Amino acid sequence: MAKSISEQNLRLLIDALVSEGKRVIGPRAAGTMTLYGPLTTGEELSPGELPRRSAKECFFPLCETILAYERDKEGVRVSDVDSCAIPETVLIGARPCDVAAAPVLDAVFSWDYRDEFFLERRKKTTIIGLACTKADDACFCTAVGLAPNDTKGSDLFLSPLKEGGYRCDVITEKGEALLAAHGPLFADAAAAEPLPLAEPTLGKLDLEKIRSWLDLHFEDPLWEEIAERCAGCGACAFLCPACHCFDIVDEGGEKKGVRRKSWDACGFGKFTNHASGHNPRDVQPSRYRNRIMHKFKYYVDKFGERLCTGCGRCIRACPVGIDIAAVLEEIDRKGARD
Amino acid sequence: MNNSAQTQSIDPALYATATEAIRAEAKRVLEAGTVAAVVGWQAGRRKGSALPAIVTDPTKADTLVFSPACVNNLALYLTKAKKEIRQKGRLAIVVKGCDLRALVGLMGENQLKREELHIIGVVCPGVQGRGEATMAAKCRECAVHTPEGTDVTVGSLPDLPRFTPVESEELARLEAMTPAERWAFWKEHFARCIRCYACRQLCPFCYCEQCLCDRNRPQAVETTPRPAGNMAWHIVRAMHLAGRCAGCAECERACPMDIPLNLLNRKMAKELKELYGHEAGFEVQEKGPLAQYREDDDQSFIK
Repeated sequence: MAKSISEQNLRLLIDALVSEGKRVIGPRAAGTMTLYGPLTTGEELSPGELPRRSAKECFFPLCETILAYERDKEGVRVSDVDSCAIPETVLIGARPCDVAAAPVLDAVFSWDYRDEFFLERRKKTTIIGLACTKADDACFCTAVGLAPNDTKGSDLFLSPLKEGGYRCDVITEKGEALLAAHGPLFADAAAAEPLPLAEPTLGKLDLEKIRSWLDLHFEDPLWEEIAERCAGCGACAFLCPACHCFDIVDEGGEKKGVRRKSWDACGFGKFTNHASGHNPRDVQPSRYRNRIMHKFKYYVDKFGERLCTGCGRCIRACPVGIDIAAVLEEIDRKGARD
Repeated sequence: MNNSAQTQSIDPALYATATEAIRAEAKRVLEAGTVAAVVGWQAGRRKGSALPAIVTDPTKADTLVFSPACVNNLALYLTKAKKEIRQKGRLAIVVKGCDLRALVGLMGENQLKREELHIIGVVCPGVQGRGEATMAAKCRECAVHTPEGTDVTVGSLPDLPRFTPVESEELARLEAMTPAERWAFWKEHFARCIRCYACRQLCPFCYCEQCLCDRNRPQAVETTPRPAGNMAWHIVRAMHLAGRCAGCAECERACPMDIPLNLLNRKMAKELKELYGHEAGFEVQEKGPLAQYREDDDQSFIK
């Protein structure tokens, strides 16, 4: 069932959600960039630019407290975080390349240990995706099997219309419920023409061929060729919608403190450093190899999905110009030769 | 004055000539076996992009380029943070004037020996900033277009207009702030930090094998991306680089969160120049002013 919503009503919808006490997250201007952040009014929604950081922080924040401790003469008291404090959330205006990562991450956060912090946020979030009409030369969603109007992960999906406003498709029951609760803001979809979709320029990649090549080339000169230049920062992983490694540290003092979970990155030199001092990934190429293997082989082998949605953030942010799309093209070519 | 400094307005033939000369020199030294590898730049997949390249095969010398996209300070690849590259043997490196200052600083810190390097200098009219065709802020006030003391220098300098000195203006604005305003300014910027450490990893002078800020037994600086730890990290970074930072601005360029990190470095550099007449990266000097004690040091600040 398709509906439509005017630009003005979309902003009124945000106002209404905020007044209901929901946390509404959407793209908003933040100094020199756009970031996903809490919207206090509909006017703040700024969907024109792809936010610098992905929408994963809606479920997997940059840093969160996972327990607190206090110690005195009586002993140690540990207190858990109350998951009830996680608010009902609506993520609005998120691009398909960000939204598609959410169900991909569900797999890793629930297959063995259930990460309640992540899962509780997912449960309490309704996602209103937005079709993408603007690609740059770093975008490659279509090359990894997604599309600028992919509804994967969305509960409601908006497509901008030529005449202004949006077509709104209902994707899930969660989306249906949100729409039903705000019915008067929506109209029945007329036969309006949508804005042309973004057209990423990178050709389609043969992802199965890439995976097969990776199967056989754990050791290969390619890794050194690509990653000798890698500086070992975490910019790619931190901006990525699908990277999900985290670190856990206790911060505070002897008397009291908290345990915090925060983003980590496999590019960091000490990421695999063992307590013994041994570091199995002792050089940058072996760390970069892990990045590619994890995204295009290990995760595929285990969960049947790729850890990449082609958003291009790592390409734009890499301070040494490493271009994952170029790397994949190269592996695709190699796969054809082998 | 030119406020909208464009790298596009520079004659592409200048870059093409420099590119040819870099290729020829790289091929020559690789073929002669003078060096095991040449560290330079190559073109990237995206139009108008470039990235660091480490070339060991003379037949690959023609992949090297010089263009407005050659922003990286390649001195990074000669530090002990990049041991694998140094292990290849004697190295040649292509440097712009600003990059050379970092090499000189590293020589002063006994990280490199001049005689072990083959330095290919490239005369640089300026490289691009974040906004593609716009010239980087550091280039608008560049005083080292032509690298000095290299083994060979290629390229030539066009007549450049006088650009608006955006960096000096930014520093003047910072200095005009009250301490409370300045605190608020940095607090706001550092609040955006995600602790990806791109600033540290791209800095030619951040070559410590154990960064204080990675320590956890005991923890010296909170490693989580929160206001206290972020502030501490950036202050530690600025202080550790004071008198050493050679002004390449790679920290600021690398920052995915657009934190004006080089502003902090420039403020420190200015203070060191005023207090000690010291400017990093112009001569090989073992110890900067913050790493030595002299009887005649000004001690009036001790109250």
